[in-house]
Amino acid sequence: MDKTDRKYTNGEITVFWKPKLCIHATTCYRELIDVFNPRKRPWVNMEGATTEEIIRVVKLCPTQALSFEYNKDHHEEELANAEVVAPEIDAEVRVMENGPLILKGNFRIFDTNGTELRHMKMVSLCRCGTSNDLPYCDGSHRKTGFTGK
Amino acid sequence: MNQEKKEKKPTEVTIQRDGPIKIKGIFRFRDSSGKITEGEQELFLCRCGGSSNKPWCDGTHKKNGVPN
Repeated sequence: MDKTDRKYTNGEITVFWKPKLCIHATTCYRELIDVFNPRKRPWVNMEGATTEEIIRVVKLCPTQALSFEYNKDHHEEELANAEVVAPEIDAEVRVMENGPLILKGNFRIFDTNGTELRHMKMVSLCRCGTSNDLPYCDGSHRKTGFTGK
Repeated sequence: MNQEKKEKKPTEVTIQRDGPIKIKGIFRFRDSSGKITEGEQELFLCRCGGSSNKPWCDGTHKKNGVPN
């Protein structure tokens, strides 16, 4: 345990906070400002929502800077629920510097008319706005000198 | 009870008319510096080439227009 780590409890569960893992994705406080409020000290208020709601938002943390455990004296039933698996990641979006967006995995893609596009397991989408084959990348960004992180 | 494994819905990518690319679902996002965010998320990515805050949309397409 790092000495910057913190924990907060409401008697039922304990929420652990590892600041070194946090990338400030802002998910927690956008979802539940009454519990996770970075302007307050302590920034986690365990009385701000129900245990279920806190657990829901802790599980949304993209980096696991937030995690939780049920406190020991809690019912077995809820311990079983604690094993609800983290959602399986089966899709990846990758931004290429000065280039397109690469999609890999399990996606559904809809065009500007709302029509679903048939696609391969890997697709590259135009980010520069000059492709002649929209929404796909056709390499035009190299000609037009597109720059972008 | 929790026996049934929930089918995960595929991540949805929408090329928005006159707007950015919206990506919503449970997925891994890797930016051009290699930084990764993973999990449930909803992103709006620039596709007009004009955003000052790439890869994110900053509304510049309203000025510059974006091809559909």
